[in-house]
Amino acid sequence: MHLELVVQLVINGLLLGGVFALAALGLNIIFGVTRIVNLAHGQLIILTALICSTLFQRFNITPLEVLPLAVIAGMGVGTVLERTLLRRLPEHQQTAETTSLLITFGVSYFLIGLSLAIFTGDFRSVGYLTSSWTIGGVDIAKAQFLAFALALFLAAILAVLLRSTPVGRALRAASQNVDGARACGIDIDQMRTLSFTLGIGIAAAAGCLLSMIYAYNPDTGSQFTLIAFSIVVLGGRGSYAGSVLGAALLGLAVSFVGFYGNTHLGSMMPYVVFILVLLFRPQGILGKAVA
Amino acid sequence: MSALLEIDHVSRSFGGLRAVNDVSFTVGEGEIVSIIGPNGAGKTTLFNVISGLFPPSSGDVRFCGKSLVGMPTHRIAQSGIGRTYQVVRPFIRLSVIDNVAVGALAHAPNYRTARKVAAEILDMVEIGHLAETPASSLTLTQRKRVEIARALATRPKLLLLDEVMAGLNPTEVDRMCGFILGLREHGIAAVGSIEHLMRFVMKISDRIIVLDFGRKIAEGTPKEIASHPDVIAAYFGSPLET
Amino acid sequence: MTQRTLGITILALLFLGAVAIPFTGNGYILSLFYTSALFTGLAYGWNIISGYAGYLSFGQITFFGIGAYIVAIGTTRFHAPWYLCALVAGVFCAALAVPMGWLMLRLKGPFFALGMLGLAQSLRISTDLIPWTGGADGIYLPPGSNGVQVYYWTLAVLILAIVLTATIDRNAFGLRLRALREDERAAGTLGVDTTTTKVKAFILSAIIPALLGGGYAWYLTYVEPSSIYSTEIELQTVAMAILGGMGTLWGPFVGGILMSQISQALSTKFPQTHLMIFGALVVALLLALPRGIVPTVVDKLQGKRKPPEPEPAPLAQTEVVT
Repeated sequence: MHLELVVQLVINGLLLGGVFALAALGLNIIFGVTRIVNLAHGQLIILTALICSTLFQRFNITPLEVLPLAVIAGMGVGTVLERTLLRRLPEHQQTAETTSLLITFGVSYFLIGLSLAIFTGDFRSVGYLTSSWTIGGVDIAKAQFLAFALALFLAAILAVLLRSTPVGRALRAASQNVDGARACGIDIDQMRTLSFTLGIGIAAAAGCLLSMIYAYNPDTGSQFTLIAFSIVVLGGRGSYAGSVLGAALLGLAVSFVGFYGNTHLGSMMPYVVFILVLLFRPQGILGKAVA
Repeated sequence: MSALLEIDHVSRSFGGLRAVNDVSFTVGEGEIVSIIGPNGAGKTTLFNVISGLFPPSSGDVRFCGKSLVGMPTHRIAQSGIGRTYQVVRPFIRLSVIDNVAVGALAHAPNYRTARKVAAEILDMVEIGHLAETPASSLTLTQRKRVEIARALATRPKLLLLDEVMAGLNPTEVDRMCGFILGLREHGIAAVGSIEHLMRFVMKISDRIIVLDFGRKIAEGTPKEIASHPDVIAAYFGSPLET
Repeated sequence: MTQRTLGITILALLFLGAVAIPFTGNGYILSLFYTSALFTGLAYGWNIISGYAGYLSFGQITFFGIGAYIVAIGTTRFHAPWYLCALVAGVFCAALAVPMGWLMLRLKGPFFALGMLGLAQSLRISTDLIPWTGGADGIYLPPGSNGVQVYYWTLAVLILAIVLTATIDRNAFGLRLRALREDERAAGTLGVDTTTTKVKAFILSAIIPALLGGGYAWYLTYVEPSSIYSTEIELQTVAMAILGGMGTLWGPFVGGILMSQISQALSTKFPQTHLMIFGALVVALLLALPRGIVPTVVDKLQGKRKPPEPEPAPLAQTEVVT
């Protein structure tokens, strides 16, 4: 009996991790290349989820049907965001970090307002794919599994892209050493835009899937930004495999602590993990040590 | 002359890389010591260890007889080691005089006194007229003077000058040499790291220490170093044909 | 009349005006002024750790919330007078800020910002787990709340915050703060004890919101997690301080007062979309005036900067013998 319970918790944890990983991957790409912490990331995910919930409620369009369009829209938004708002950053590294933090903060503020205006403060969810498969006494929630599968798929594609394609290699170079990459003739500005395009596109995909898994309202955005960043830090900045691993671990932590302790304690895990990792192992699990 | 600074078998590794490998030497009061070596020889890492940015992996650093290892950076500065950085970066949003006043606060009891000290030092390096200028609008040479003024304001007994000649044209290098020699008159010892400009190193140094790949490969007077086969090999790849 | 006398006169008039407000007997105007004073005070508190020390925090609401809850608990469980509880809150948060600051200030830039945000979120979520807080149901404070009392309290804290900032703006502590903001490593090697200095700043930035939060609880007469650990309050505080001018003496004042009025006007005129418009305004102003209103205006008033000085004369002292 107990084993079944543990297995269930593990499954839940891993599936939760898949959901988290989706949120984190997009943020990681952006942060890896540009060192910009997109404070509006979670908000964009939630906005997509809210749109999905309205489309489902009004027109019975499922989030899965919305997904491809959402990704394209997300890519568009990401490109526009980077080009218009984050282009002219001051040279001084620290001021640039502060300025970009403040600008994405402003964007997040705007998006909260926008979401509240359009969707009100009510909590919503999409009641689609809410059932689970039961295999050998263990329940596997369908929507979560889809998110998990998509996260793995995206991470794998990203890994291939980054290793084998010229664009991917350029992106990696830009994230590791800006000046060196520039010296090799890589157009850094293009790489920055690309990172945002990809990052927000993935965020949109995450939003579609999350719309079926959680209940959310416009204020939930910052929670997701934090969870995403927690994973980026846990897995190691710039390491996409690390994000997946970190997401899995975090998912397991939330699942187990949430069950054996308390749901509230469970929801606090991302923050606890975040702070612990930053204080005791800042490079994360798979990241390189900071000099 | 008693030894002011003692570097005692200092090593520093980062992961697998030995940036500084068992380096030992001393610096006496008022001495001018140049540390030369190609890029990556470990000069800046050594300076970082001395000024307390990180501890040595092994070995000891003693100043006026007292070990600096484990001492927080600011206390090392207060005990009399000043330091300039290779990439000169003043406190950008502060005025020139405020930049220097920060250093003066190491010993001054309040802001007003610190500003007075700062003003004197600015006059000493002849940029007194720039006192209220924001550091953001300075030229490179001016920034270098602010960098030095800042370090001087902490009333150092020893000044670590990291690649202080970088980016200067020949005339400016001349002036800088004059300045470094002048430090001796104020009883301040100087340890400068430098990659090239051998003529000037030879002219102003009391002693020269040569690093290569983190190890000390030679130490001596300028004359001794100039004819040292290991030094020539390190810089030119092989002994010169005589 | 010199510029300085003019400035002092204006401030004195403002002060008298602010003090006189409750005598109008108009509840709406009182609440308007209270809100303005509250947010301006919060902006000043934020400004010390984020503006002067350069450690941007998105979680100062933590101390605001703790202050509110201490007053709520103190007045209901211990029947203590609310302002006493608020003072206790100030002391408590100052003490709390020591280990918290020592730990959190090891983080840099965005990590610190999000770390503080995480802390605030954690506190909000975990209110259920902390005894006496009434969890999600909250606490109803005892009757007797007097908007006028809270207003004067808030005004007093605001003035305290302004005086504090004025002192920091031109003393040694403030210079050390600004130095470590610009370049923490260099500040260290110049003799600045960066750890102690920034923790001190963190403590100051904890006391102010704690005191203000205490007053807020008494004003609302009801506390519960989401209205106390409010994202909106945090967002507005940060927005006001940065738009007014981070790291300046009058930035939070201008930002706080100005933005409060705009925010109030917007919420009356556009009740559905005011947050969105405000957010768009924040972004627009950030792009147009990246340093904030006060520094930009000050620069304009001082006229164009003089062109860079010509090369300085040669450093005298010993010439190199050729």
